Amino acid sequence: MTSWRLAVAGAWLAAGLAPQAPAAASPALGVGQSIYVRGVLASGAPLEGTRASGGGVTSGAEAACVNCHQRSGLGSVEGYLSIPPVAGDYLFHSRAQDAREPALPYAESLRGNRAPYTEATLARAIREGVDSQGRPLSYLMPRFALGDDDMTALIAYLRKLGTGQVPGVTDTVLHFATIVTPDADPVKRQGMLDVLEHFFVQKNLSPLKPTPPMLTSSRTQYSKSMYMANRRWQLHVWELTGPAPTWRAQLERRLAAEPVYAVLSGLGGSNWAPVHAFCEQHAIPCLLPNVEVPVVAERDFYPLYFSKGVLLEAQLVARAILGPDERPNARAVEQVYRAGDSGEPAAEALAALLRGHGVTVHGTVLPAGAHGRGVAAALRKVAQRKGARGQALVLWLRPTDVAALGDVPEGTATVYVSGLMGGLERSPLPAGWREHAVLTYPLDLPDRRGIRLDYPLGWFAARRIPLVAEQVQTDTYLACNLVADVLNRMADNFVQAYLIEQLQASLEHRLITGYYPRLSLASNQRFASKGGYIVRFRDPRGTALVAEGDWIAP
Amino acid sequence: MRDCKPKALAARTGVALLLLAAAVGVASAAADAPSATRSLREYAVPDVRLVRDDGKVVSLPEEMNDGRPVVLNFIFTTCTSICPAMSSVFAQFERRLGVDAGKVHLMSISLDPEQDTPARLVEYARRFHAGPEWQHYTGTVAASLAAQRAFDVYRGGKMSHGALTLMRAAPGKPWLRIDGLATPDDLLRDYRELLATR
Repeated sequence: MTSWRLAVAGAWLAAGLAPQAPAAASPALGVGQSIYVRGVLASGAPLEGTRASGGGVTSGAEAACVNCHQRSGLGSVEGYLSIPPVAGDYLFHSRAQDAREPALPYAESLRGNRAPYTEATLARAIREGVDSQGRPLSYLMPRFALGDDDMTALIAYLRKLGTGQVPGVTDTVLHFATIVTPDADPVKRQGMLDVLEHFFVQKNLSPLKPTPPMLTSSRTQYSKSMYMANRRWQLHVWELTGPAPTWRAQLERRLAAEPVYAVLSGLGGSNWAPVHAFCEQHAIPCLLPNVEVPVVAERDFYPLYFSKGVLLEAQLVARAILGPDERPNARAVEQVYRAGDSGEPAAEALAALLRGHGVTVHGTVLPAGAHGRGVAAALRKVAQRKGARGQALVLWLRPTDVAALGDVPEGTATVYVSGLMGGLERSPLPAGWREHAVLTYPLDLPDRRGIRLDYPLGWFAARRIPLVAEQVQTDTYLACNLVADVLNRMADNFVQAYLIEQLQASLEHRLITGYYPRLSLASNQRFASKGGYIVRFRDPRGTALVAEGDWIAP
Repeated sequence: MRDCKPKALAARTGVALLLLAAAVGVASAAADAPSATRSLREYAVPDVRLVRDDGKVVSLPEEMNDGRPVVLNFIFTTCTSICPAMSSVFAQFERRLGVDAGKVHLMSISLDPEQDTPARLVEYARRFHAGPEWQHYTGTVAASLAAQRAFDVYRGGKMSHGALTLMRAAPGKPWLRIDGLATPDDLLRDYRELLATR
């Protein structure tokens, strides 16, 4: 009998009910999860909760426990509100009798001021809103009219929450992977790996010995940080090979051979979807990789990104064309991109955003590879097409193609160039194009981010890390620091969902944000930087930029 | 950006304060009520532009000065704990006003404007069955911050906000500030008291 079945049986016994056949317990666990996460009862009816003093009724997904107590069950702190953990250990664990007893893993909103719950007092808390000692719970906690079977299932789920073995964590080592897809830029790859390897070396400089269990008496900020310092960070570089459909199996094999706690940074080309799906399915935090085309799936939980990359650029172009009042300033849009490159999904995203607004969208697809070849000829052909005059041109092209644009075709109106793909301010945009072209720039402007880059750039210089891909390298360094800081906050708690939740909650307080004017997340948010500029080159040569307007969060 | 600290009201509002103190006494007597504290404040409404949930760019002072009493809070749509509770209270307050609902202007300003696009605000409002007199607002980060600072709401980030409701009977009148989560009945009582002293 597995532990949760024991727990379910225990719940029935404690509630004074006759235990049913063990076979019935299996769906019961599903019901508990459904109540906790979705607010749906065994009958399929919505969970209903009532707040005291006329506070009203809340139901369904709105009433689900997960909203406040979080996926991890470890609660949250928001403003003056401290929402306690409800993962089983925290509810049922008896109070420490002695300060030398091992403590439960740290949780920010831990309550130490009440007797442990029993199954009966927990059911009473959920139904009547009083704690294990009969004191009223917070006004925010609704009273839920749960039937006995639903209650049993919910309590069984709470008992199981937070009890699983966390992979990739030993007494002395924290295992991380970083993932590189075969279509990733080799220069960026080397730049990223250099930063990661140096960061891990620095992390492991302090002398190590096995981590002792955290004691009830040692819950100070100082001792918390000591627990993290005792674990060595180990990096596993998972370099994928071959075609994309085989990546998933490669990742499964690597994970089986080297269980990891989280995927830290990483580098993709135009397709990150297999990595995203792998992390989500295995419940592995996939933290802030360098990808141009992230997966936009708001309901997924484990992957977090710096931004939507080229998809955000597509939103910026759409906003520039449609304006805030959605009246298009161009009747036709021609998009140019290479087959199989990041421009393809970006062009699809832009076409979808313009659909229904009376804008005709064409695409000119250049053959895959062959960088720098055929682009000028293709543009001349586009210009000769009927109705081409006055249309907006959107170039989803790499620097080699941008450098080979040739002369500006006659009748060219506004040209939008993907800054991320085209090399940002170092884009080799020919002089003739610069008066027509604007760049999408989903980062802070170079003269404003300078001070935020001083520290990472100095850190690279001190370690003689060659600066070969500045944004990728500083983003990688930022990702490492963000994760290290959050893990310090978590002390001896390694629940993977809690890592995501803590990152989401704390990110907006981060002052050193590298290339981004600000970073911010919250529950159900996956993209930390949400906007960008439209810029143009100030001069026919050089890298000086002028913003066309304010930062836009489309 | 202006940082307008609220000022305690001068003696001319003393009568209103006494009336409100009576109302507070009633509210706090209710069993298990949240501990909301009330005060009268004067705030200078900053002259910023916000984007209303219908996508229109509007002036904050103009939205507040159309003659209707204003009931205001600050929320963000991915907030999972206190904001849904506050919005749920707004929704029930709106319903309990009945025929008087048409005379009030309920305003919710986003604390996370870059995430909360007008489309997301509309979806959020729908979740709470917001009526036609309840609008949600977003805009630039700077505009939202100016509004938060003007009403002494800013606490260093969206994650650090507490439950708060502000109401004002008419332009030029003081604001009633309710810190803590008020129940819909509390709000209704406070609202009627406030209108009576107008």
